[in-house]
Amino acid sequence: MTLLTIFLLACITFFTRYLFLEGRLPIRLGPNLKYLLSFSGPAVLTAITVPILFVHDQQLDIAMTNPYLWGGLAAVAAAYKTRSVYWTISLGLLLFVLTGY
Amino acid sequence: MSVSSRGFAKAAGKGVVDMLPLSLAVLPWGILFGSLAVQRGFSWLEAQLFSGIIFGGAVQIVTVELIADNASLLTVLFSAFVISSRHFLYGLSLRERLSPKPLRWRLGMGFLLTDELFALSGHRRAYQSKFRLYYALGAGGSFYLAWNLWTFIGIVAGASLPDLTELGLDFAIAATFIALVVPEIKSLPTLVSVMVAACSAVLFSLWQFELGLVCAALLAMFAGYLTGKMQGGAA
Repeated sequence: MTLLTIFLLACITFFTRYLFLEGRLPIRLGPNLKYLLSFSGPAVLTAITVPILFVHDQQLDIAMTNPYLWGGLAAVAAAYKTRSVYWTISLGLLLFVLTGY
Repeated sequence: MSVSSRGFAKAAGKGVVDMLPLSLAVLPWGILFGSLAVQRGFSWLEAQLFSGIIFGGAVQIVTVELIADNASLLTVLFSAFVISSRHFLYGLSLRERLSPKPLRWRLGMGFLLTDELFALSGHRRAYQSKFRLYYALGAGGSFYLAWNLWTFIGIVAGASLPDLTELGLDFAIAATFIALVVPEIKSLPTLVSVMVAACSAVLFSLWQFELGLVCAALLAMFAGYLTGKMQGGAA
């Protein structure tokens, strides 16, 4: 029974991931929809990231003692200046660790 | 090894390296999932199968709890559907590039299309060439292996390991995503979109709104779209 449930869950996650990759699905993306979708990358990634920085234990955490804020700030500055993933992660983590311990 | 297969291996290797920060960052969650599943009475095989065939962190953690609490099958499946619904957006965004590809690539990429792989799919030529497909295979495939390895460690070590989710490794996910988003902000519509995503995602998260991520992303996309239209922009 549990195995069947796991299998059904796998079908659901795969279905949501695969559906729109299927070419035979009769959907044409017009220019407006394409323009709308061009924002999806930054929009989704920001929507995942910002709550990690600002929300802890279901509370808004904007205290000066929140290392996620300092690390996040350093990461944004590093990303803006260097455009390098490695500098961004390194400097972000450095500030995160320094302000957290 | 022929010249092209060496090139494909190199592309896949670059995918593995680019994904590495994210593969490491989900270690606490993989371990948490593995030990949680065993503690809630699942067999080793079942726990590993969750990661092996479902392959979705949030879905796995939520449904393991629901199943252990004897929730109805419909509740379990519906919760999984709600949490997974954000993937529709990823599929739609990548449709132009991936739908003309051969079935085995579509199936493979479809299976591997996590938040993390989507995060690395922003390049203008992503998935367009064979090299870029191998790059995505390296990135998505290594993330799959890492997630399953972390799960396995969680299953074996179980409760003997401390809770690593308090260690702050989730900051590494945030930093990586910041590194990917900030250089993309080259126009006012994108800036507006990102601001709306940030504010609405925080609000929805405080409200513990289940569809918060998808709704914040959709609101942000519309905000960017409308800003562009008002500028008489690129549409």
